[in-house]
Amino acid sequence: MFQLLNFLLICPLIGALVIAFTPSWNVRFIKTYALFISITNFIASLSVWLLFDTSTAKFQFVDRIAWLPFLNMNVYIGIDGISLFFIILTTFLVPVCLLVGWTNITKHVKEYCIAFLILETCMLAVFCMLDLLLFYVFFESVLLPMFLIIGVWGSRERKIRAAYQFFLYTLVGSVLMLLALLLIYFQVGTTDLQVLFVSEFSERRQLLLWLAFFASFAVKVPMVPMHIWLPEAHVEAPTAGSVILAGILLKLGTYGFLRFSIPLFPEASLYFTPLIYTMSIIGIIYASLTTLRQIDLKKIIAYSSVAHMGFVTIGLFSLNVQGIEGALLLMLSHGFVASALFLCIGTLYDRTHTRLIQYYGGLVHVMPLFSFFFFVFTMGNLSLPGTSSFIGEFLILVGTFQTNTWIATLAATGMILGGAYSIWLYNRVVFGSLKPLYIAMCSDVNRREFWLFLPFVIAIVWMGVYPDVFLDPMHVSVANVIQHKAFM
Amino acid sequence: MQFINLFENDFYALFPELFLTCAALLLLVFGVIWSTSKASGYPILVHTVAWLSVWSIVCALGLTLHMPFSIMVCFYNTFVIDELTFLLKVMVLCSTGAALLMSMDYLKTSSLNVFEYSILVLLSCISMLLLVSSYDFISMYLAIEMQSLCFYVLAASKRNSEFSTEAGLKYFLLGAFSSGILLFGCSLVYGSTGITNFEDLAKCFAGISQTDPSLVHVGMCLLSIGFLFKLTAAPFHFWAPDVYEGAPTSVTAFFAMTPKIALLGVFIRLLLCSFYDFLFAWQYVLFFCSVSSLLIGSFGALAQKKIKRLLVYSSIGHVGYLLMGLCCGTVEGLHAVLLYLVLYVFMTVNIFAIILSSIDHAKTSRVKYIQDLGFLGQTHPVLAVTLSATLFSMAGIPPLAGFCSKFYLFFAAMSSSLYSLAILGVLTSVVSCFYYIRLIKIMYFEQPSHVNTFSAMDQEKATLIGLTSVFIVFFFLCPQSLFLWTYKVAYAFLG
Repeated sequence: MFQLLNFLLICPLIGALVIAFTPSWNVRFIKTYALFISITNFIASLSVWLLFDTSTAKFQFVDRIAWLPFLNMNVYIGIDGISLFFIILTTFLVPVCLLVGWTNITKHVKEYCIAFLILETCMLAVFCMLDLLLFYVFFESVLLPMFLIIGVWGSRERKIRAAYQFFLYTLVGSVLMLLALLLIYFQVGTTDLQVLFVSEFSERRQLLLWLAFFASFAVKVPMVPMHIWLPEAHVEAPTAGSVILAGILLKLGTYGFLRFSIPLFPEASLYFTPLIYTMSIIGIIYASLTTLRQIDLKKIIAYSSVAHMGFVTIGLFSLNVQGIEGALLLMLSHGFVASALFLCIGTLYDRTHTRLIQYYGGLVHVMPLFSFFFFVFTMGNLSLPGTSSFIGEFLILVGTFQTNTWIATLAATGMILGGAYSIWLYNRVVFGSLKPLYIAMCSDVNRREFWLFLPFVIAIVWMGVYPDVFLDPMHVSVANVIQHKAFM
Repeated sequence: MQFINLFENDFYALFPELFLTCAALLLLVFGVIWSTSKASGYPILVHTVAWLSVWSIVCALGLTLHMPFSIMVCFYNTFVIDELTFLLKVMVLCSTGAALLMSMDYLKTSSLNVFEYSILVLLSCISMLLLVSSYDFISMYLAIEMQSLCFYVLAASKRNSEFSTEAGLKYFLLGAFSSGILLFGCSLVYGSTGITNFEDLAKCFAGISQTDPSLVHVGMCLLSIGFLFKLTAAPFHFWAPDVYEGAPTSVTAFFAMTPKIALLGVFIRLLLCSFYDFLFAWQYVLFFCSVSSLLIGSFGALAQKKIKRLLVYSSIGHVGYLLMGLCCGTVEGLHAVLLYLVLYVFMTVNIFAIILSSIDHAKTSRVKYIQDLGFLGQTHPVLAVTLSATLFSMAGIPPLAGFCSKFYLFFAAMSSSLYSLAILGVLTSVVSCFYYIRLIKIMYFEQPSHVNTFSAMDQEKATLIGLTSVFIVFFFLCPQSLFLWTYKVAYAFLG
């Protein structure tokens, strides 16, 4: 039978292989072909959405390929309501990344396209792998292309340090997870997720395993003491790298929490909920306040991502349907909003080659279209009602309010702070007096950029106005996670 | 004739070794006669003899693969053939062949015009084959000595280089020292039991009380120390960086993989077969050595500026991982060790084949400092991608081959409750990432002071690099067959 998920995973690899054998002077073909492959994948992922059965919590489109059958390890793929939209988000963002670098990536175009296509396969594999070990494998493999993307196509000298930090921070976290999953494998005898879901771990062991998983996911999210790598990596990465970082890689951690930590170690999750809450609240408030004093555009968005991911973790560990669905929706929404904001900054950087906020001002006079897009995305970032983030944050607060009023109250201050830094950012960049030095450089968005921004606007408004389309497939899966582990 | 009939099957069993011995001697005669013949103008036979040696190794490999016996003890219980020796012999032959192939160009360009080089490699290969199947202290010691003698000469084979002679001398002194310790251990065990045969030792020790320390314990400790010395496990590693750095690079490549296979093979047999009942005694020794090798291997390499020294420290780290698996004393542990060993050989072949390539068109200088790799990503993108894949694989980043061996090793350690060792193992693997990535950083991101134009690679090395890289990158896709093979070997040995 023709398996749609297998196609999604293999298609970019084939594309990468074809490009690898294309001579590198043939830039035009390479770019077009990579774009064609990634758009094909996007369309295929949309058909996954169409064929998705929202009435069941079972994994769908499952396929099992023997990998190490005698060790009980198989390539076992499938998706449910939790992972469906991450698949679509990934396939959506990869063509965007290729288009962002369409003109400003001039060196190593071939390798650029290959890196992104391989990255796409790895990320999709992370989201649909139902085998713990192979999940880990792909979770880690994402590091390799990302390391090269930051290191090779990054913007400044500091990029090497950023690439190092990114690689080593995430590696330190994940090796502990490797040990944890080997311990699980030792106890259960398989790494098949569906078997693991019905296995029980002793409470003491759960605590240890949960902490090991936490070490890995918390670095990826990133939660506050482990977030140092993120602003560095964002600032140094090329625009497309930032888009993928903010759009997908940050979600790997929270996705891991929801997919593994919560269902596998329910007692430990309850035990450590206060820890998560505290760290998230500190994260939200600290990151929001830090955002206020940043002067680098990308750092602002990076720190605001940290704050938003704090919301997501609070929502996940509220352990009720509203909270988790809100968290999922906020992840999705943040995937669109933060990526779009990075695209905006990329647009500015392409023109002026600076990201320092003091050089900008009064852009509304010279770049009206850009200012409009930037406005929509900024409103998305501060969770204005009518944009996608609002629904997410609202649901998270509703969910959290049921379990812990104080945390909900404190988290709500994050929304105010979010408004503060977002509007202030927009104010400084778009309004104010025009900086005469840069008038000549600041031409408005061109056609490519316009068509890049438009889908983001549509997605953000769509999710904000009629979120049920996105929430509907999640209901059963999320309810299953909660009820199965008796969190109610 | 009586004699022949008595040992008829025994000769079959050691046919590859006998064949290689004859081949080596014939090649020696050929070389001596031909290279001194005035009529043909004293030809330089390095290349010819090297190729002939490669072909004899290929023949020996064929003979090994078609060995009529799968399990056998021969020559009055002094040699053994089983699944384990089969695997190790194949590996020894393959790695020797690879070492010879990658040194072809090196010998030619660095005017190491001694045809004895390949013959010494052949002779040491024979001794390692014998070592792998030795089943008795005497045959083991003789094989080790023969191997070491060849190695001393090989290390010093670049006679006009001070470093090489220094390496040879150091290797000789410390090798003799460790052989002495080894022999002393053997004699203590022999003195207290009167047995030299491995299997008889196992029978003798079965059910012995393990609590009171005896002379056997001391002997076993000394034996292990002798082996750990030769395996370059910390804290017995001090000779390794100097010897490996001083020796000609092609010899270093040979040293880095083949003796490790053979010595580890017989060490496995000794510990897991003869001294299995003393598991709790030698586990401490191995535990300590594994911990120190992991630490020294990863932290020692951080400060290195020369690529060979860096690789030596990385190999010390790898020995630490191998000892971790051996430390478990279980089927999983042995399985993990064998798997790790196979993948380690592949990665070593790959990396040394790249290091051995010349960095200028005159083909006189080679990669010496890690800075010499600078800008490789721009000048030789394919080579750089290959090298970085191998380095990432050595660091154990999934989905490359190195990860597959490492995760299984950690699993084995966890399942034998060696939690502290496993945690230390993963943490040092992160530290080792540091210096592997540094090489990648130098290749891709840094602006070097001068750019080296690597000369075109010769065909032998290119083939080796190609094969091993494909293996390293795509092993993840179907690891089944190698996993099953090594598992079968481990299970047959211990199960």
